[in-house]
Amino acid sequence: MIGAAPLLTAAPGPEPPAAPVSIARCASYDEDVTARLATLFNQLGGIDGLVRNKTVTVKLNMTGSPGIRFQGQAPGLTHYTHPKLVGATAYLLGRAGARRIRFVESPWATAGPLEDVMLDSGWNVRSLQSAAAGVEFENTNALGKSKAYSRFKAPGNPYMFPAYDLNHAYEDTDVFVSLAKLKNHDICGVTLSLKNCFGNAPASIYGDDAGVDEPNEKPTSGREAVLHNGKRQPSRSAPPELHPGSSREPGYRVPRIVADLVAARPIHLAIIDGVESIAGGEGPWIKRIRMVKPGVLMAGLNPVSTDAVATAVMGYSPRAVRGTAPFRTCDNTLLLAEAHGIGTTDLRRIEVRGLPIEEALYRYDT
Amino acid sequence: MWMRVLRWGAVLGLLPLLHAAAPPPSDWVPMRWPWSDPASLELLSGTPINCLLLKTVLPDFVQAAAARGVVTLAVLAPDGDVAGAARRAMAAKVTGIVIEGDLPEGAATVREAAGGAPVIELTARSRMPLGSNAPILGTYQGVWPGIAVEADGAKKAAPTGSVWIDTNTGFIRAVRAWGGATLWMANQPPPKTVVTGARYLEVVADAAISGARWVLALDDDFTARLARREPKTMADWKRIADLLRYFEQHPEWRHMQEYGKLAIVQDPAKGGLLSGGILDMIAVRHTPVRPIPRQHLTPEALAGATMAVNVDADALTPEQKEVLRDFTRSGGMLLTGPPGWKDQSPQGDKITLDKAELERLNDIWRDVNSMVGRRNMGVRLFNVSSMLSNLLAAADGKTAVVHLVNYADYPVENVAAHFPAEYKRATLTTPEGVEKSLEVYPTEEGGGVDIDKVLVCATIKLEQ
Repeated sequence: MIGAAPLLTAAPGPEPPAAPVSIARCASYDEDVTARLATLFNQLGGIDGLVRNKTVTVKLNMTGSPGIRFQGQAPGLTHYTHPKLVGATAYLLGRAGARRIRFVESPWATAGPLEDVMLDSGWNVRSLQSAAAGVEFENTNALGKSKAYSRFKAPGNPYMFPAYDLNHAYEDTDVFVSLAKLKNHDICGVTLSLKNCFGNAPASIYGDDAGVDEPNEKPTSGREAVLHNGKRQPSRSAPPELHPGSSREPGYRVPRIVADLVAARPIHLAIIDGVESIAGGEGPWIKRIRMVKPGVLMAGLNPVSTDAVATAVMGYSPRAVRGTAPFRTCDNTLLLAEAHGIGTTDLRRIEVRGLPIEEALYRYDT
Repeated sequence: MWMRVLRWGAVLGLLPLLHAAAPPPSDWVPMRWPWSDPASLELLSGTPINCLLLKTVLPDFVQAAAARGVVTLAVLAPDGDVAGAARRAMAAKVTGIVIEGDLPEGAATVREAAGGAPVIELTARSRMPLGSNAPILGTYQGVWPGIAVEADGAKKAAPTGSVWIDTNTGFIRAVRAWGGATLWMANQPPPKTVVTGARYLEVVADAAISGARWVLALDDDFTARLARREPKTMADWKRIADLLRYFEQHPEWRHMQEYGKLAIVQDPAKGGLLSGGILDMIAVRHTPVRPIPRQHLTPEALAGATMAVNVDADALTPEQKEVLRDFTRSGGMLLTGPPGWKDQSPQGDKITLDKAELERLNDIWRDVNSMVGRRNMGVRLFNVSSMLSNLLAAADGKTAVVHLVNYADYPVENVAAHFPAEYKRATLTTPEGVEKSLEVYPTEEGGGVDIDKVLVCATIKLEQ
């Protein structure tokens, strides 16, 4: 019944929007990643109109401590977005006229500068800074460079929280980009441009050691107690859950929170790094993971459509329901987001440009 | 003209003797030699190994070693007629004696039997004669360095959220803080284990970055393959020799002292002799730290430090407590262990902390971590989760070195180091023969350098 709920709520509304998704072959990070990404953007009609003279905020995927690695590999080769793709994104955004490019992430258990986490991940921060004018970095686990949090109301009928208090960077921007990795996720089945935004939630408010009344500006833990398991509420400074009697199961909660977050903070451009990645989970702490080389990059102007195509490239149905791979123990985040009216998961309505899905297909379940 | 030829001829004629001159104990590069055949000595060609520890002493072998300028030490167990065994070994012309194990009555009779030849004791950690004038201190107890792996094969997570690295560096630092004796780590490879060449490199470097020497000891499998001169094993052997040479070519590093603006006041005869303690916890976080033996706690020892951790507060004398009070009065931050905390001592074969003690120590570690935060305590290193490091400074303070050892099976790319502004020049050296100036770029802390790749070991030399 739980799995059917989103489909039931989605049915009566108008058809959710669709947008083209482009796919390009990129066999390794030693290739000209910038050229491949530029091709993707061109196939989408270019990004100049989207970003010229704008502030662009790019949410990275740097999940887990940079010290925890799979077989000693650099995180960009396994579970983080690769720094070369990050650099290429900065360069192309700058070339398209972006006035300010702000890379954001809420990294594991720290509110320190994001640059430190990047350095600890083996990224060359100086190269990133010189990739374009106006490059900035912000750790969104706490207040950061602002004096107040921004409240993002989830429109319509949110699933879990009426609103989320986030770092100012998610508000002080004209364009929001989700730069994700093509991975499975232990709880959510897949983690793509939508699930990447789970990290928008600051640990200061939604972390295990968040303050009871006010945010803890020096968080040192993850978000399991508040968001994954619902064992406690966020700091009282932020709105509490809508339905405290609802399921505490992570497979129920996390997909809904992600759908709410993306409805509250819309994604204008989704980019998915499937050059090299991992299958079987989202990070080295998941014991069944293995390294994979799908050799693809993807981009789209609608995150649900982009994730639908990416899910298909991974060998799954983007409309699969709970109990079906990859959503074996969870609800389908894509369908929940579709039900919010964010975008369609219907591959028949999504125009794929560049490499067809059939040619890009890389089955994550073997 | 003829006179000059004769003079050169005389010098050349003396060369074998000059070559055979035995080095002083502080320069001995030791190895447990598993063979007795003089022909095996050929393996020493091109290596800096100049001191062989022998279980079996044969006069022919000892003579052949001496002819190469190689020191031989007879290894004696502390049971039976040790003095008699020492006399027999000395009769075979060995350079000296190693007693491996703990002699309840002490080594006086063995020293007498050795007749003034060097006698080196490899003891339990708890029985090391700290502060004595022994030219070489040694122990047979050590952890086998490397990334800790749990029973299911997964990497063991530390409180830091990074992998835990088993290491002897904390112990070595604590012992070296006590005095300037040469320290030998004489622990052997774990039994019934095939040790890869890379692991040997880690063990050598684990001791060397803190100024000690690991007494090279090969496992049975490696020994057999080396005896057969198998090409891959010979390549591993050469890499081991290259790494040994790398550290031996820089004796100045061994004379530098651990430097850091964080000082740990600890009794080396207690918690400092254990592995996995507070020093190792801090090492995993790459916070430069200087251990100060409680007995050596003076205002001078704390000079330049901005933070101090007093692990066992109850153990301090009133005078020592006053030194720490003065430190805080002058602006230093002091963290004291919880009331009633007693620093654990090594007992018997136990050289690591038990789980309960580890959990209690974690509390101190968290406080240290919180106190240090992002402060630069001498150097901040990035992308070094699979590594350990050591910051050493010369006595004049004008030169410092940062040693890095990588314990992962893969090279680490893109390491960054940020350091205070007083250092203007940086040079990278590696055992692979790299020696190059690094571009020093400005950072919020002063300067920074990037290193492209670290295989097993690298050293950054910083100069004012």
